[in-house]
Amino acid sequence: MALRDQLRTIVVDDMSTSRGLITQALDGFGIRQVESASDGPTALKKIAAWPVHLVISDMNMPGMNGLQLLHALRSNAQTKGVGFLLITGKADREIIETGRKLGMNNLVKKPFQPDDLRKAIEAIVGRL
Amino acid sequence: MSDPMAEIRASFFIECEELLESLQDSLELMDSGEADDETVNVMFRAVHSIKGGAGAFGLDELVAFAHKFETVMDMVRNGDLTPDHELVKLFFVCGDKLSDLVRQARDGEEYDPTQYADTLAKLDALIGEDESDEEEIDFQPAALSLELGGEGEGTAPGLPDLPGLPPLGGDDGADADAAAASQEPVLHIRFTPETALYASGNEPLYLFRAVRDLGDLTVRCIEDKLPPLEALDPEKAFLSWELTLLSGEGEAAVREAFDFVDGLCELTVTEQTAAGGDSQPDPVETAAPSTGSPDKSGADTSAELPTPAAPSGTRAAPIDTAEPAEKPAAPPADKKAGKPQAKSAGSKSTGAKKSAAATPRATVRVDLDRIDRLVNLVGEIVINQAMLSQSVEEAGLPPNSPVRTGLDEFLQLTRDIQESVMMIRAQPVKSLFQRMARIVREASAAVGKEVRLITEGENTEIDKTVIERLADPLTHMIRNAVDHGLESAEERLAVGKCAEGIITLNASHRSGRVVIEISDDGAGINRERVHQIAIDKGLIDPDLQLSDSDIDNLLFLPGFSTASEVSNLSGRGVGMDVVRSAIQALGGRISIASTAGKGTTFSISLPLTLAVLDGMIVRVAGETLVVPLNVIQETLALGPDDIRPFGPDTHVVNIRNTFVPLLDLGAELGYREPLVDYANSVILLIAQDDGERAAVVVDSIEDQRQVVIKGLQDSYGHVPGIAAATILGDGQIALILDPLDLISEASGCTRPQSSSELTAG
Repeated sequence: MALRDQLRTIVVDDMSTSRGLITQALDGFGIRQVESASDGPTALKKIAAWPVHLVISDMNMPGMNGLQLLHALRSNAQTKGVGFLLITGKADREIIETGRKLGMNNLVKKPFQPDDLRKAIEAIVGRL
Repeated sequence: MSDPMAEIRASFFIECEELLESLQDSLELMDSGEADDETVNVMFRAVHSIKGGAGAFGLDELVAFAHKFETVMDMVRNGDLTPDHELVKLFFVCGDKLSDLVRQARDGEEYDPTQYADTLAKLDALIGEDESDEEEIDFQPAALSLELGGEGEGTAPGLPDLPGLPPLGGDDGADADAAAASQEPVLHIRFTPETALYASGNEPLYLFRAVRDLGDLTVRCIEDKLPPLEALDPEKAFLSWELTLLSGEGEAAVREAFDFVDGLCELTVTEQTAAGGDSQPDPVETAAPSTGSPDKSGADTSAELPTPAAPSGTRAAPIDTAEPAEKPAAPPADKKAGKPQAKSAGSKSTGAKKSAAATPRATVRVDLDRIDRLVNLVGEIVINQAMLSQSVEEAGLPPNSPVRTGLDEFLQLTRDIQESVMMIRAQPVKSLFQRMARIVREASAAVGKEVRLITEGENTEIDKTVIERLADPLTHMIRNAVDHGLESAEERLAVGKCAEGIITLNASHRSGRVVIEISDDGAGINRERVHQIAIDKGLIDPDLQLSDSDIDNLLFLPGFSTASEVSNLSGRGVGMDVVRSAIQALGGRISIASTAGKGTTFSISLPLTLAVLDGMIVRVAGETLVVPLNVIQETLALGPDDIRPFGPDTHVVNIRNTFVPLLDLGAELGYREPLVDYANSVILLIAQDDGERAAVVVDSIEDQRQVVIKGLQDSYGHVPGIAAATILGDGQIALILDPLDLISEASGCTRPQSSSELTAG
């Protein structure tokens, strides 16, 4: 069984277009165990019910942003070990520093091509 | 659309519309000084999201513009810029340009840089040299170690030792299978019957038995709502149940089992894949972020997290949408779950209606064609039903026969379906009003007037087609109001008005119609001048005595333009006559009210739907006609003394001591010559929007019923006095009158020997 068949992922983005695009790209890599959520709290709920290996989250979301979601994940014994990939339009020092401190695994800058996403995921979990 | 990318692209543009709308809302808040910190955030996110999606589709111009816009908004967010009046104005323009770019990208139009150069330059001036924030920093990816991982340097968080998850990598077929086997989905069902459920003879036990057939079921009764025995009302419902079902049948099957009691209970079904054997998960509490989040606004997120009892799965919508107050035993958990999600201020206000929806927006996007097909089919059902009623009537069945009662129920259901279908097509006028806001901004800038647009009743709903077809006439009227209606700032100040002109756009429901009013607080119609122009242009007879309202209505005459020089704003060629015919084509009417020095109001009254109407079936000179019920004030039989001659060839009718002009429908439509004697005729008293009335003579009244409108516009254009046609129960085609049009076009001739004409108001 290849890694991509086992990998469970959740895509968190408030924009359904982005969720669709990312899910579409993941599908292209053969990652089919994919959930999605439109905001952080929903993502946390879904992960609690359906644990995942990897969280792919947008940075800029209403209510809880990507890094706040990461913080919430890392503060919980059950989810603190998940891989976290941040998708962000802006990769400035502040976001990267905070991300590093919170244990972000990787980030992808928007706009990105499917291949960028693939590389970023493989840098976290290894060859798909 | 089978190409998934094309679908995503299409949904991107729809999403853009929503984002642009929320941007507009926030800008309006900002403009009115009611903005808070979150307002800027909402705006920023909207533009940012558009940029993000646009980037994915390679829409470079859109990305570039959104980027600059976003950068300036970020400066406001950081306090580097103050959103003063000028800046908000620029933001409005940016919003307009952004929506232009989105539309261009969607429709594949050519990008015209000159249209944006000015705005981009203004944004650049604000950004200045400051755009150094693009300092790219490399991030060193932190791989997940798949073996045991200590949290060594605090970089990688260690292994994904996640409960309920098979370890990644390696050959672990057996484990994976075992995990899969334990993954029979668990469905959590919360069932709260209402009193009506018992009253209609339903028994929860039977329902549970039906659910048990689907899989492994555990049932728990919740009796915490049960009052002490002495306070117990045995007629009321107090109990609710929690059911846990292990079944692969899915939510739909469960809902089907409860189909019989749909509307009589509150039902939530939540699907959850069993994880690690623990069927009742409560990890949400522990997932709450501690304080000290990177952003201050995160401090309160824990409050928004749902309680463990709240539906945790994908879909959880209650069957019943009645007010919670009516449910005697509504579980408290549901109320908590009903808390609005953190979907921010500007977005749609649909929250109030869904009490326990876990997802912020549970909407379905449907192709308009499909809805139209449904509307048409329902129209056919209405006709069919009418035919059936007629056959039953003719068969002479007794009124209480089962067929008749069945048919009555059918009638009721048909009406309900019709109403529901119409509601699908209805949309708030908000989007239309927002477009008008832009027109006001552009028009006022073009003529150098300060104008404020006030909108009221934005949530008034009206048929989507009507909204679309109103855009052009409204645009024209708004431009007119800015250009001709409002005075210049100097003139306004001279008469003690505020320099800023006010245009009000108001929508409301009024007796089964939607009324849209466009008012300005300008100088009002200069009647002397209007009258003179009409005479100069040879539009009217100089000797004709006209009332104020007659003069106002001259504006609707073809070829009328009051502007001393045709400004390039209100355009040329298109006059109020075109506006009026556009409104009439929608089954609407337009009227003017103007007060010198105070301003002018145009009222457009529109039908709620374009598909059906309640009509009175009348007969005139052997023809069957339909008169829309909503314009008929009353019906009367004329006595010999009620009718008086008036002028050489017209009559008036005395109705409770007021005189109303008499119109002979048969003569007006050319079916016959005017009658010699109108005594004992039947008249319909028709009321116009401006309060004027007319008495329309018909031979007899046949029936009152709902008819399906079949437009004639496409085949015959506008026929004076006729709105459309319909098919009656017996298959006969009947014309639907437009009585108000008929009255305004009427000759009023009710005596056989007439020749001269009089224009009725």
